[in-house]
Amino acid sequence: TLTLTSLIILTLPIITTLLQNNKTNCFLYITKTAVTYAFAISLIPTLLFIQSNQEAYISNWHWMTIHTLKLSMSFKLDFFSLTFMPIALFITWSIMEFSLWYMHSDPHINRFFKYLLLFLITMLILVSANNLLQLFMGWEGVGIMSFLLISWWHGRTDANTAALQAMLYNRIGDMGFIMMMAWFTIHLNSWEFQQIFLTNPKNTTLPLLGLLLASAGKSAQFGLHPWLPSAMEGPTPVSALLHSSTMVMAGVFTLIRFYPLMENNLTIQTSTLCLGAITTLFTAICALTQNDIKKIIALSTSSQLGLMMVTIGINQPHLAFIHMCTHAFFKAMLFLSSGSIIHNLNNEQDIRKMGGLYKTMPITSTAIIIGSLALTGMPFLTGFYSKDPIIETANMSYINTWALLITLIAVSMTASYSTRIIFFALLGQPRYPSLAQINENNPYLVNPIKRLILGSIFMGFLISMNTIPHTTPQMTMPPHLKFMALAVTLLGFTVATELNNMTHNLMFKQPSRMHTFSTMLGYYPTTIHRILPYLSLTMSQNLATTIMDSIWLEKMIPKNLTTMQKTAASLVSNQKGLMKLYFLSFLLSITLGLLIAL
Amino acid sequence: MNPLALSLILTTLLAGTLITMMSSHWLTAWMGLEMNMLTMIPILMKTTNPRSTEAATKYFMTQAMASMMLMMALTINLMYSGQWSITKMTNPVASNMALMALMTKLGSAPFHFWVPEVTQGVELTPGMILLTWQKLAPLSLLYQMATYTNTNLIYLSGLLSILIGGWGGLNQTQLRKILAYSSISHMGWMLIILPFNPTLTLLNLTIYIMLTLSIFMILTNTFTTSMSSLTLMWNKTPAMTIMLMTTLLSLGGLPPLSGFMPKWLMIHELTKNNSIIMPLTMAIMALLNMYFYMRLIYYSSLTILPSTNNMKMTWRFTNTKHTMTLPTLITLSNMLLPLTPMISMLE
Repeated sequence: TLTLTSLIILTLPIITTLLQNNKTNCFLYITKTAVTYAFAISLIPTLLFIQSNQEAYISNWHWMTIHTLKLSMSFKLDFFSLTFMPIALFITWSIMEFSLWYMHSDPHINRFFKYLLLFLITMLILVSANNLLQLFMGWEGVGIMSFLLISWWHGRTDANTAALQAMLYNRIGDMGFIMMMAWFTIHLNSWEFQQIFLTNPKNTTLPLLGLLLASAGKSAQFGLHPWLPSAMEGPTPVSALLHSSTMVMAGVFTLIRFYPLMENNLTIQTSTLCLGAITTLFTAICALTQNDIKKIIALSTSSQLGLMMVTIGINQPHLAFIHMCTHAFFKAMLFLSSGSIIHNLNNEQDIRKMGGLYKTMPITSTAIIIGSLALTGMPFLTGFYSKDPIIETANMSYINTWALLITLIAVSMTASYSTRIIFFALLGQPRYPSLAQINENNPYLVNPIKRLILGSIFMGFLISMNTIPHTTPQMTMPPHLKFMALAVTLLGFTVATELNNMTHNLMFKQPSRMHTFSTMLGYYPTTIHRILPYLSLTMSQNLATTIMDSIWLEKMIPKNLTTMQKTAASLVSNQKGLMKLYFLSFLLSITLGLLIAL
Repeated sequence: MNPLALSLILTTLLAGTLITMMSSHWLTAWMGLEMNMLTMIPILMKTTNPRSTEAATKYFMTQAMASMMLMMALTINLMYSGQWSITKMTNPVASNMALMALMTKLGSAPFHFWVPEVTQGVELTPGMILLTWQKLAPLSLLYQMATYTNTNLIYLSGLLSILIGGWGGLNQTQLRKILAYSSISHMGWMLIILPFNPTLTLLNLTIYIMLTLSIFMILTNTFTTSMSSLTLMWNKTPAMTIMLMTTLLSLGGLPPLSGFMPKWLMIHELTKNNSIIMPLTMAIMALLNMYFYMRLIYYSSLTILPSTNNMKMTWRFTNTKHTMTLPTLITLSNMLLPLTPMISMLE
């Protein structure tokens, strides 16, 4: 039964894409209802799993055998995939409904839905894969779909460059992925997870490094992060689906999948920890002074991803997974509400030009406030059930204190930038032109947001209560550590409120160095995007023309030889006719010769 | 020159070399060398211009110095061993000093400075005698005494000769100087093989003498002494131009011609004795020689430089030069390679 139900889930969206009637209007609704039914059906295996705690592996179609490597299509339905699939489907359902409103006037809306559906299918393939080949297919699929969707408005150069950026950074990560696959093929002769975890090889540093690189590329960790803020060039539903809940989760998801191998390898844990800590702090710093509402939310996603990496680094993959699931809800909701704001203000994305939406868009502002509170880990909302245990476990574990401190600072910054959004977008007097028609009447806009609000409030409780903890959580800790998360969050809130209130009264002078650092995303894109291509292109040009053509083919042998011979010839034959000199040389030669001979 | 004087001088020249070659006592060998040198002087001064005189003077001074050094070596040998036999100069000072003296007489590096100047300063025929006949006596002495000398010196001098002969000839347009440098280079080849297989030295000497004689005679017959006159040779004696080409190629050591034989056998002998780098270097340096021979061939036989139409039809005067031995020599210098197995005759 489990097998059949899960396969039906996957095939429902696929059947929809097979009916390629782009002409009719019904395609959109068919797609949306297909995803709804898929969500409903996917709840069945999940509930079965919750009840019985049985994991299932389906391996049906034998693909091919290469020497001793047998490749087949196999699905793994364990805690991770069975929990994530309904959540992904639910969020996709909401987003599809939202994009019925958002992309209403777009002439190619059918194609948009097709792309969204393809993305969903590849994401599900990635999540349910039992062997690395299938995972890689899903991996590449989400990469390609993200490229197509970011450059949806392909007439805009910024969109095209952002899509290229996303593709290239993902590709760099893919190198790590392929290295991991190659290592597993060479050493373990299999790509199936069961075999990898059973044999439990000893020296797994190399493939896990590759995996870390792949996750860093996919989940925008520091070093491979600029594509995520740039990816906000795509439409808001794309940002909501890909870059908040699903695609960027793919990297963290794969890392979580490999937790049996990572448990044993402390080097990888430390590197994950440090990488995540740097990411979360850096992107939080960058998010503090951004002016584009979508970029703030994107950088916030990056920061939360860093937090998930930190959790994996302290050997708590299940906590990271729970945080991933809950984060999907409120981040998607934040994106959807920002989309509603943007559309209602006639495509205005700059928060300095918004204001006073608290009264005019009640549902959206409620959504933003609830989402921000959930993001920062307000007690008993969703984020609390995932973020608080993370901070507590981090406090009580034997980890890098530096990483811990950085994570705490980043948590307080989370509160700060959330306050920034609320303050600038919702509170105060309106700063937008007064002809903007603001309404929230369309049910396609309101219903998804309402659903996601409910999810943000209750899902944390539901998920954490229904999962069996794999590691014993910390029960006792000193009270100051217990309150640490809450305390830093409140600190962030108050500081941000104070500072933002001060902006009413102060004059804006020349921005300080720190401010520019933060606004320019830490100068990382400006330096790296120019330097690396410049260096490699000049190096290859020098290699090709100077070294190859000019030096090796022309100068090295022919010209050098001619100059050498000419010099030698003129040296040798240039005799003065003075016999005394000759005799002197004879004397010297004879002396030397006798010395040699003796 | 007065024919009586000429015949006296030539016989003395002959006698001097023969006395050196036939002697087993050092003093008579030295005496023969001195006779050689003294009769060479009037031959070099056949034309009485100052250049020839200068060449003769240089020749005299260099050879006198070499003879003095040889005498000193002999005296030291007498002091240490008490005997005058040529083959048993066991004292290293004596034998190496004698070696260097003989190398000066031959004109190998680093004692080569006199060869181009003297050869250039005299006419073609004395130059010919200088470069061919005068090598016989010192080489015969070297052949006998080389076993007790330091082989490093021989290798050093030989390699240096080949290098200098190669590089020196690149910068020349005068044919006599080119042939002088070629003589230096061939002396280098001859010296190097001396510790390994002296027979090959003699073989090289023979073939070198044949080749140089052919070339000099061709040049004498056509009155060419510089490269610019070479370019006009095609019109006057086309047959000799082609013969010059083949003989020059043979001098450079090109395979189907007989000049290849000594080089090939020498490299073979050297590699049999496990030295690889030296024959490699020698062979590569021989290419330098080949380059300027090719240049001569290019200008004489392969191309015709732009000229007015008058020059294409010259008066053919009767040839006053004797070309008696020339055909034989040319044939020998080009076609001797298949007779290689006959060198066992020399052993």
